[in-house]
Amino acid sequence: MPEVHQLIPGPITCHCWNGDRSRFAISPNNTEVHIYTKKGSKWEVQHVLSEHGQKVTGMDWAPKSDRLVTCGADRNAYVWTFAGEEWKPSLVILRINRAATTVRWSPLENKFAVGSGARLISICYFEKENDWWVSKHIKKPLRSTVLGIDWHPNNYLLAAGSCDFKARVFSGYVKEIEEKPEATCWGKKMTFGACMAEFSNGGGGWVHSVSFSPSGNKLAWVGHDSSVSVANQAADGQVSTVMHSYLPYLSCLFLTENSLVAAGYDCCPVLWMHDDAGSLTYINKLDTAEKKQKEFVSAMDKFKGLDNRANAGGRDVELDSTHQNAISEILLHTGSRENVSKFATVGVDGQLVIWDCKSLESSIAGLRFK
Amino acid sequence: MILLEIKNRIIEETLLHRFNSPKPESIDITVADFDGVLYHISNPDSDKGKIRVSISLKFYSDLKAHGAEELIQKFYGDYAVTPEDGYDISLQFDYENLPANKEEWAEKAALLKCKCFASVFHKYFQLQRDGKQDATAIIHYRDRETMYVSAQKDRVTVIFSTIFTDDDDIIIGKVFMQEFKEGRRGSGTAPQVLFSHAEPPAELQGTDALTGQNVGYITFVLFPRSFKDEAAADKTVNLIHTFRDYLHYHIKCSKAYLHCRMRVRTAALLKILNRARPEIKTTEKKTISGRTFARK
Amino acid sequence: MRRLFVKSQRRPKMSATLKPYLSAVRASLTAAMCLENFESQVVERHNKPEVEVKSSKELLLTPVTVSRNEKERILIESSINSIRVSIAIKQADEIEKILCKKFMRFMMQRAEHFFILRRKPIEGYDISFLITNFHTEQMYKHKLVDFVIQFMEEIDKEISEMKISLNARARIVAEEFLKNF
Repeated sequence: MPEVHQLIPGPITCHCWNGDRSRFAISPNNTEVHIYTKKGSKWEVQHVLSEHGQKVTGMDWAPKSDRLVTCGADRNAYVWTFAGEEWKPSLVILRINRAATTVRWSPLENKFAVGSGARLISICYFEKENDWWVSKHIKKPLRSTVLGIDWHPNNYLLAAGSCDFKARVFSGYVKEIEEKPEATCWGKKMTFGACMAEFSNGGGGWVHSVSFSPSGNKLAWVGHDSSVSVANQAADGQVSTVMHSYLPYLSCLFLTENSLVAAGYDCCPVLWMHDDAGSLTYINKLDTAEKKQKEFVSAMDKFKGLDNRANAGGRDVELDSTHQNAISEILLHTGSRENVSKFATVGVDGQLVIWDCKSLESSIAGLRFK
Repeated sequence: MILLEIKNRIIEETLLHRFNSPKPESIDITVADFDGVLYHISNPDSDKGKIRVSISLKFYSDLKAHGAEELIQKFYGDYAVTPEDGYDISLQFDYENLPANKEEWAEKAALLKCKCFASVFHKYFQLQRDGKQDATAIIHYRDRETMYVSAQKDRVTVIFSTIFTDDDDIIIGKVFMQEFKEGRRGSGTAPQVLFSHAEPPAELQGTDALTGQNVGYITFVLFPRSFKDEAAADKTVNLIHTFRDYLHYHIKCSKAYLHCRMRVRTAALLKILNRARPEIKTTEKKTISGRTFARK
Repeated sequence: MRRLFVKSQRRPKMSATLKPYLSAVRASLTAAMCLENFESQVVERHNKPEVEVKSSKELLLTPVTVSRNEKERILIESSINSIRVSIAIKQADEIEKILCKKFMRFMMQRAEHFFILRRKPIEGYDISFLITNFHTEQMYKHKLVDFVIQFMEEIDKEISEMKISLNARARIVAEEFLKNF
């Protein structure tokens, strides 16, 4: 059974974990960031960060340097450092005039990328001379709001999915702070902002999320047209796309080089497999939750129910899944990028759920994460 | 109360109360009735011993031309006196000299409006009986709404023109009129009812009768059996002169009823929508004394 | 009178075309009601239903119309953060037309209680709902879909019942009047 934490009644916009998984941060769909820490077996709010003026839309926690970055609809991003007792924000000069949508630290934690509604991506790095975070913009050929981003393991390439129905790979090489990158299958020349690859599944769905495989050779993306696609650059950019008959996914994550977990409006994570021959297949739902027993209804609640909703029985609103509303984000929880043993999901229902791959393998017959 | 009362209940009850009170009391009340009619009950010259009931009808001059005065005189006898200023007819009762049958006279006074209307009908009934014809009587019983009465060889025709102020009333009105048209089949003695919308019926072609989307014409064709004797004639008059008000009253009632239904249905739909709203879990606890407190 | 009584007592059987119509609507609504928060990319610091402002073409989906027949149909317009559902209700004659008009006006005047009701219908339709990501965040999505379906069923039923009762009243009123001659 997955580990379920009902944190808040309303939606969780985004979340992130610290390095040793002893803390995590969420945004409860408002301007605040809540940092939870474990007390006994329960997670409790330890700090509330309220620096953003509008809704917080994205956050990421650098595991090694223990720095938190948040971005919001107020067009700002902050890098937070924990100084003894409390969290100290430092403002990032994003130079955008629309809401930021998502943020991700690069694997080496020397820079981070912020997607935004200004139809650009800001690559931000620290400028020692001025003691602040500055940014460079990737603009072309983005034509709409960026919804999802993911760094390539080499720390230079960045994938982005946006509302113009495309998934792209850009170079995020900042020559001011790092060495010249070595060539990968995505290309040799990596001047900042260069669009190394552009993919479309031929349809018209907003690309909600993108994910690089552990090797960095494959790129997966999920679209609002209920599609899952994987491009294998090692095989000349061969694209496999499946239009499935379920509701669209909002987030995806490679668990191994070949297995991909995706989740979204159907409220449960689903496993997909992509093999080297380029076939992308649906494996199974990863949620084994069964319909919960009808809860006991007190006489008082019966009358209340009749008065409010004209039905006396229980609410009967439960879905047959662990999450009760759309899953908005999937993140790696335990294990390495090559071999994920646990992953975490948050949703509009205010739940944080941690899924253990080992126990999923044993509870679902024939399921293997390869 | 499907049919409207033809007498004015306020007048009747007020008079009866005064007639029965042990000592004369001063009185001065004004009562409105359908078709812009006003009643005034007062003591003439501030004499408590006398009670005067006056009625004002905007269309009295139309009625007068068809013998209203004579009929009133005949019906009320000496109680009809010179009309009060600003009113058309006045009845006066002397407290010291009340009629023997108080109830009957209170009711008779309350029929004042009905009797005014009756004159014109009776005149045309008589014309028909005598086989005579006369120009059509035109009674402007309301602003822009008119009643036409005419006698033919074998029948008396009464036509009402009525205005539907609300567009929706026309459609509801049509539903009612359809039923009036068909309703005759259920009753052998009922007159034939015709309805025309927007255009006046053939009888009124060439007159100044109104036309327009919100105008309706209702024609009653009265055959001699409807006024074969005094009693039948009275019954017919009583019914027919309230027709316009009866129709509009029921249109309004229907609208009120529909409104009620909508209110109920809307509330029910709202409850269905509430099913989509999660319950807010309150931590309400009962104290030992039975009072509740909410922990916030 | 008896004829009428039987008429109003008998529950209208779900006709052969109603069921597939409603299940098509249900499936379309479930798919369309996948909404997320979206800050305007055109106007700074704005968050407006894209289906209403229509400021960016790529954020709108192709509208879907589900028709039962010429008169009864539903239009679902979707965007990234909101959908607009407009319903054309069956109106066989003048009376049903005014009953429908009155009823919808009555409801729309109470739009604030209905959260998702739009104060004005889209042209060519009798009533419109506007559902945003804020609604799907606060309410159960599947129950919202249930509501729209139930709304469609109940409105048809209510209008025909109102018509029957109006006719019944007219008949009684006419009979009573004419009987007294």
